Amino acid sequence: MDISAAAFVVHPSSGVPIYRQLMDQVRGMIASGRIRAGDVLPSVRELGAALEVNFMTISKAWGRLESEGVVEHVRGQGMVVTAPRVSSAHREHRAAVRVLVDQAVVRGVQCGMGREELLGIFKSAIEENLK
Amino acid sequence: MSELMVEAWGLRKAFGDREILRGVNLRLERGQVTGLLGLNAAGKSTLIRCLLGLLRATSGSAQVFGRDAWELGAGEKSRLGYVPQEVWLFPTLTVSGMVNYTAAFYEGWDRVFVGDLLRRWDLPVSKSCGLLSPGERQKLGIALALGHDPELLILDEPVASLDPLGRRVFLESLLELAGDGERSILFSTHITSDVERVASHVALMRGGVVEFHEDLDGVKDRVKRLRLSAGAEFPAELGLSGVLRWEPCGSSGVLTVSNFTESLPEELRLKWGADVLVEDLNLEEIFVAYHEGR
Repeated sequence: MDISAAAFVVHPSSGVPIYRQLMDQVRGMIASGRIRAGDVLPSVRELGAALEVNFMTISKAWGRLESEGVVEHVRGQGMVVTAPRVSSAHREHRAAVRVLVDQAVVRGVQCGMGREELLGIFKSAIEENLK
Repeated sequence: MSELMVEAWGLRKAFGDREILRGVNLRLERGQVTGLLGLNAAGKSTLIRCLLGLLRATSGSAQVFGRDAWELGAGEKSRLGYVPQEVWLFPTLTVSGMVNYTAAFYEGWDRVFVGDLLRRWDLPVSKSCGLLSPGERQKLGIALALGHDPELLILDEPVASLDPLGRRVFLESLLELAGDGERSILFSTHITSDVERVASHVALMRGGVVEFHEDLDGVKDRVKRLRLSAGAEFPAELGLSGVLRWEPCGSSGVLTVSNFTESLPEELRLKWGADVLVEDLNLEEIFVAYHEGR
């Protein structure tokens, strides 16, 4: 789907730079599910003309989103929203949690616990902590 | 992209013993759209006239397309467009007569573009120039400056006598012109919201010098207002660099800085045990902060 220029609103006289307003709006639309992987952002010219802001401002916003991996430039299509990826920070957190889980599993096995018993412990820990 | 269109270095201009420009440094690269801000009498028009070779600098240098502004030849002038505050027109010529007269000086005059602009502005083409309103004169002046598709466009308060609708059309045509990144535009104005929309860069003139000329977003990132509140009283001086304004009031205070970094709130928290609230400023607030502070 081509995302319409009308989906964007900017306030030039806000203290927040226009390019950042646009980046926030794209991220917001992705987070809320209004736009999905494969959707195409409006072109720099189209959006610049519609919002009446400097075209370089738009290309700066799209460029930064591209370097963040939120969109990618596809020849002949424009800026295409990529599938949401696991961010690098999140990947690190996963790795840290995995270390703790490994320790717990090893400890359980050493005490003679089996697969079902360990899963039961994890399940009840999750249930009790995620309330 | 880094080709220099305009370069002023240590530019000074005095009229008698009144020095208006006191060492201006300014570099405009190809593709930049710069809004030139400053109080009345800050020297904006004098700077523009020196850059165009209409005034001769007292000392320092002003170069356009790499050539001394005072010695521009026909070749450089044909790549230049200028809209003065007071547009000069033949009072007896009609609007279309004035357009034809100007077009005759240039190869590659874009009749379609100019005709389209006159239509969007509702300019009466058969009216005598002497009978035009100030707004109409300004619109015609802009159309005449754009007709030969200049690489460098310099405008001295182009929107001062335009109504909101005329201003809109003008801003749209500026955006179109700037769109391919091949041209540079320098325009002086008092309307900061126009700069925020159209400009990539902003220059601030104060007391005869260019205080700063930089990326508009960069300015918004570095000039911030912080609201502090602590358990104890704040001193009259915070001992920080880059303070534009510091208004202590008992155990709270409002601090405006020109060199904000992400670590500043934390520093203030540690040093004063203060709660810190960071506020973004728009260009008008930044302009005011630069003038009331010192």
